Amino acid sequence: MLRFIVRRLLVTIPTILVVISLTWGLIKLAPGNFYSTERRLSPAIEQNIREKYGLDKPWYQQYGKTMWGIVRHLDFGLSLRYENQSVNAIIKQSLPVSAAIGLLAYLLALVVGITAGSIAALKQNTRWDYGSMALAMLGISVPNFVLGPILVLIFSLTLYWLPPSRWGGFPSWNLILPVLTLSALQMAYIARLTRAGMLEVLRSDYIRTARAKGLSERDVVIKHALRGGLMPVISYTGPALAFLLTGTVVVERIFSLPGLGNYFIQASLNRDEPLIIGIVAFIAITLLLMNLLVDIAYAYLDPRVRY
Amino acid sequence: MSSGKFKQIVGLVVLASLALSTYSCTVVSSDEEFFGSTTPPKQNIFRYVNGDEPTSLDPVMSNGQPEARLYMALYDGLVEYNPKTLAPEPALAERWHINNDSSEFTFHLRHNGRWSNGDPIDANDFVYSFRRALAKKTASPNASLALYLKYAQAYNEEQVFVRDAKTGQYLLARDFVADLAPDPISTTPIDAAKPEYLPDPNELKGDPDTAFHQQMHTPLRLTLPGDEKARAKRIDADPKLKALVAGKEFVTVTEKDLGVEAVDQYTLRLSLVQQAPFFLGLLAHQVFRLQPQKIVEKYGDAWTQPEHIVTCGAFKVKTWIPYDKIVLERDPMNWDAATVKLDEIHFIPIVDQHTVMNMYKVGELDAVYNHTVPNPWLHVLKYKKDYMDAVEMAIDYLIMNTTKPPLDNVKVRRAFNLAIDKDAYAEWRRVVKPLTAFTPEGMFPGYPQPKGAKFNPAEARRLLGEAGYPVTQNADGSFSCPKFPEDQVEFIYNVQSANKLFAEWYQAQWKQNLGITVGLRAMEWKTFLDSRAKLEYKGLSRAAWGADYMDPFTFLSLFYTGSENGTGWEDPKYVAMLDEANRTLDHKKRYELLAQAEAYMLEQQPIIPIDTPSVNFVKKPYVKGMYPNPASLYPWKYIYIERDQAKWDYSTPSLAAD
Amino acid sequence: MSTEKKPEHDELIHTPPEMAIAEADVRSEEAGGFVRGSSLWRDAWRRLLKNKLAVFGLIVVVVVTIASIIGPTVIKNTFGFTPDYIPTDDVKLSRSYPPFTGPDGKFSWLHPMGTDNAGRDQLARVLQGGQISLLVGVIATLVSLLIGVTYGAIAGYFGGHLDNVMMRIVDVLYSLPYVIFVIVLLSLFRSQTPMGQLVLLFIAIGSISWLTMARIVRGQVLSLKNQEFVLAARATGVSGARIVFRHLVPNTLGPVIVYATLTIPQIMLTEAFLSFLGFGVQAPLSSWGSLAADGVQNIGIFPWQLIFPGVTMALTLFSLNFLGDGLRDALDPQMRTV
Repeated sequence: MLRFIVRRLLVTIPTILVVISLTWGLIKLAPGNFYSTERRLSPAIEQNIREKYGLDKPWYQQYGKTMWGIVRHLDFGLSLRYENQSVNAIIKQSLPVSAAIGLLAYLLALVVGITAGSIAALKQNTRWDYGSMALAMLGISVPNFVLGPILVLIFSLTLYWLPPSRWGGFPSWNLILPVLTLSALQMAYIARLTRAGMLEVLRSDYIRTARAKGLSERDVVIKHALRGGLMPVISYTGPALAFLLTGTVVVERIFSLPGLGNYFIQASLNRDEPLIIGIVAFIAITLLLMNLLVDIAYAYLDPRVRY
Repeated sequence: MSSGKFKQIVGLVVLASLALSTYSCTVVSSDEEFFGSTTPPKQNIFRYVNGDEPTSLDPVMSNGQPEARLYMALYDGLVEYNPKTLAPEPALAERWHINNDSSEFTFHLRHNGRWSNGDPIDANDFVYSFRRALAKKTASPNASLALYLKYAQAYNEEQVFVRDAKTGQYLLARDFVADLAPDPISTTPIDAAKPEYLPDPNELKGDPDTAFHQQMHTPLRLTLPGDEKARAKRIDADPKLKALVAGKEFVTVTEKDLGVEAVDQYTLRLSLVQQAPFFLGLLAHQVFRLQPQKIVEKYGDAWTQPEHIVTCGAFKVKTWIPYDKIVLERDPMNWDAATVKLDEIHFIPIVDQHTVMNMYKVGELDAVYNHTVPNPWLHVLKYKKDYMDAVEMAIDYLIMNTTKPPLDNVKVRRAFNLAIDKDAYAEWRRVVKPLTAFTPEGMFPGYPQPKGAKFNPAEARRLLGEAGYPVTQNADGSFSCPKFPEDQVEFIYNVQSANKLFAEWYQAQWKQNLGITVGLRAMEWKTFLDSRAKLEYKGLSRAAWGADYMDPFTFLSLFYTGSENGTGWEDPKYVAMLDEANRTLDHKKRYELLAQAEAYMLEQQPIIPIDTPSVNFVKKPYVKGMYPNPASLYPWKYIYIERDQAKWDYSTPSLAAD
Repeated sequence: MSTEKKPEHDELIHTPPEMAIAEADVRSEEAGGFVRGSSLWRDAWRRLLKNKLAVFGLIVVVVVTIASIIGPTVIKNTFGFTPDYIPTDDVKLSRSYPPFTGPDGKFSWLHPMGTDNAGRDQLARVLQGGQISLLVGVIATLVSLLIGVTYGAIAGYFGGHLDNVMMRIVDVLYSLPYVIFVIVLLSLFRSQTPMGQLVLLFIAIGSISWLTMARIVRGQVLSLKNQEFVLAARATGVSGARIVFRHLVPNTLGPVIVYATLTIPQIMLTEAFLSFLGFGVQAPLSSWGSLAADGVQNIGIFPWQLIFPGVTMALTLFSLNFLGDGLRDALDPQMRTV
């Protein structure tokens, strides 16, 4: 096990560095820069800006400076757009928002998805089954940027029950609609996975044995079948996080939430190089670490897997 | 595959789609009176969206609109705006009197003015505040409004007097400055200006004639630039001055020379450098409001932090969460606390119009700031009862560089003006009213406003021909003007949302009516401002001006001497007309003279008037005391939440003075 | 029970849910995999037709595709609006009106889906949006197909070290937030022309969706490469490349088609959300995503601007998903566990 972790880490760290370098390289290659969109700046002002941000130095110096700061203190520098705010500070203040919605959405998706999927598997080919699978299909098909505004339209702008946007702190009514929107896709996927996994397990020999032994249906389900149904869900965690991430970006945009995703989009639109690199690096690190954790968990749970 | 499953799934999908589509068809046909929820907040809290996050809570530091609204809640001044007419009403000054030529104002302050920490307010606070507002290192962007005070400009620019060390005599301005207006301080006894603010008969005689007062009555002293190089340049340029300056010393103008005096603890006297009958109305502006001397001196720049700040307005700061909201609560120390009905005001900074409108609809906001309603929504929202539709005290116009040909020819300028159909423009924009003069129409009651030229393309073409650029008509009905030097004329504008659309509209008009294609050029804000101010641009540019006080002079003064209006047009005849008007004490006659000046300026056509914006916002019907006055300034202490539905506002509240 | 090859641990973790099941079966060495026979396709087709949901999906997709292709032209000829037509003569017309309503508020056939803020006909816009969305979906899928199949086939056939390295790369790429990269890419390299932007999209989206395809093809090739017909080909001296492309790849067609059909809606979703954020299709072209972005702003007062593009997109994706499911069921009944 330890060897496995070490091996993975050895692959992960260079990967992150490559990711950062690639992003940095892309930004440098691209035409234009962050301070000129449609504007015409006088040469003096432009020169001032270039000097201030060190843009007039040769590329290897800039690269070295950036990477050194990152490797040494994990310092991603100052944002170019949000004057005097360091990238680290921005990430620090926006992370709780994204984390809150993301985690709540995932929890909700797990609870609802596993329950629905289990019921559907147990009551296969009945109304429950068809109903929940239909809803699941809708969940996969309706894009979150359509679902979100429609939820806002119904529950906020027509019924006046919930706020239509903005962050209201934690916890607050403002959380409900963004979390619902974000979790819809995951809920659907998890339901389908649970159902498929459980169905497969329910057909297997050892379940038949358990039933033959006289175990109550409840025990059969919870102690044995569920475990089998959960495996695909656990292995799905990695991609789930990735989907949650991309979902968060849209949801934060729609609901005007001051989270990482929203800042990332703004940074991309503003060509705010340090902020882009900072957020990309942060996301890459998080995802890779989460994947590692998932792998460990899976190894722990599935005795068939050996290292 | 059972048909049951199929039917269920398909049925679900079809049902959902139909439901949504039907909903979208019917949602607008519901003829609700108001836009959104009309449930008043349970508590006495007013939630207002203020625009962008304010930059500073220091009343002299910012000239932005979001900040202005905050300052009105937090700081009191000598006078306050009337919520409907914007006329000055007593605030910290109980009553006042003005001398015969509107060059000296004496205020008697009330004795019960208090800061939010309980400290009493007196005339020294005003002296301190005015001095700080004009100090060079404060660098207030609104200092220009206070330049009417004597030696204000000299103090603000750190200029110097020229004094003979032996005799103590100062050189006088009238000896060296051409066209100086006569010293305005009249020597006739001071007299009350407004009958309802009659002072105590004892006070009329009692206002002491202090040494400072006498000094204010001496002729205006000459001031020279503080910077040595600039000063040397100025001296060298004038041989007479050079001769007289020799052997004399330069004395920096200090705050003690500023024309503000605390005659006694509760009497404040202001001396102006020129006649300014409108000055009283100007005093409600935030740059004239109080700053707490002790707190500023103790904490320096950090004095506005919520833990340090001390205010004197109807409300004080409770909490400030950046980018989330600022919460103000009522200040029981305020002299007028009894009038204040709200317990708290929440100022929420949101810039995106659509977010704001959604929050308003749901009932999270009670009112929104001016110009929030998106243009495409107007054909529906305009008919809702909570939509405020009134005139605004601002103008949009085009300026022309009169220093460069071909626009140095007044006929060409007039032609360009006559070729724009202001009515069509107003119809297209929806939130504006057409403007043909320079002051907004109907804004100043009793002002005989000149009409200005109406849209007349034929006349425009004729004028162009007279100027040497004949316009010919083509076979397809369009026009062309071959001789016109199109490369000498372009339209510049700053890059910001709809400016490009407007520019294209003007361009289309000139092309259509004159056959001239005016090039368009977008510029970044600072470059744009520079180009206008330095008269570098070729041709035309857009401009806008919001009034600082309710008097035509606030617009007409744009072409006074020394104003950087971006046209290069300066006419001594016009300036003389304005000066004469300001010297006139008779209100009606003054208005007539101002109107004449405006008419003269319009004929010279340094500008092309385009439109007057309308006020354009929504407020809930239960919000009372908030009136859509032309300046969009609301004295917050008059606002309250009406719980009795019968007393709600079922339309735009009237601005008629009661 | 057949001896199931233990799934490679990593792959099971990182595969998207649907294919987790599919792969387990695909890797089976049983000859009950893909027997090449001419009856395969006819059998599959028959099975597909029996699946009512899939048929429903097929019909909807076909209808939407045809409507998108010919719709705008039909509308132009009957009513005279193109998707870009902004009425300028009467100011009253350049406003947003609800479905089936005219400027005077009365019923009118002209705009079944209403108009947008500038007065453009929504139906024409939604159909044109469909053109772009479907186009991107199909072409980007083809791009990802091309890359994925080639990559997977090479890795699977040559095996050994090359296979290891290639699959490691895939693993690493899988765990990266590639959509983030695409956003950064699109924000930096904006094309000047709308067509250029489209091409950029094809390439960008296509190049992030090939990973699973590569895995599937590799798995297939692995299980096929030791079969007799391959041995025979090698014995007769056919070169490696020819074997890969002439013999092995055609046999992987089944899962490839299935996965391609399932990829199209995913890609359309990706494109839509990129356009929604502002990085995808640029004006004057519009896809369902950018139409939704325009509509979301006005949802408080003109909800039809969002509802119609949104519902159309959801319906299309819904149908594509059912069609994909049905194809999968039809092409390999053994994969059927749902």
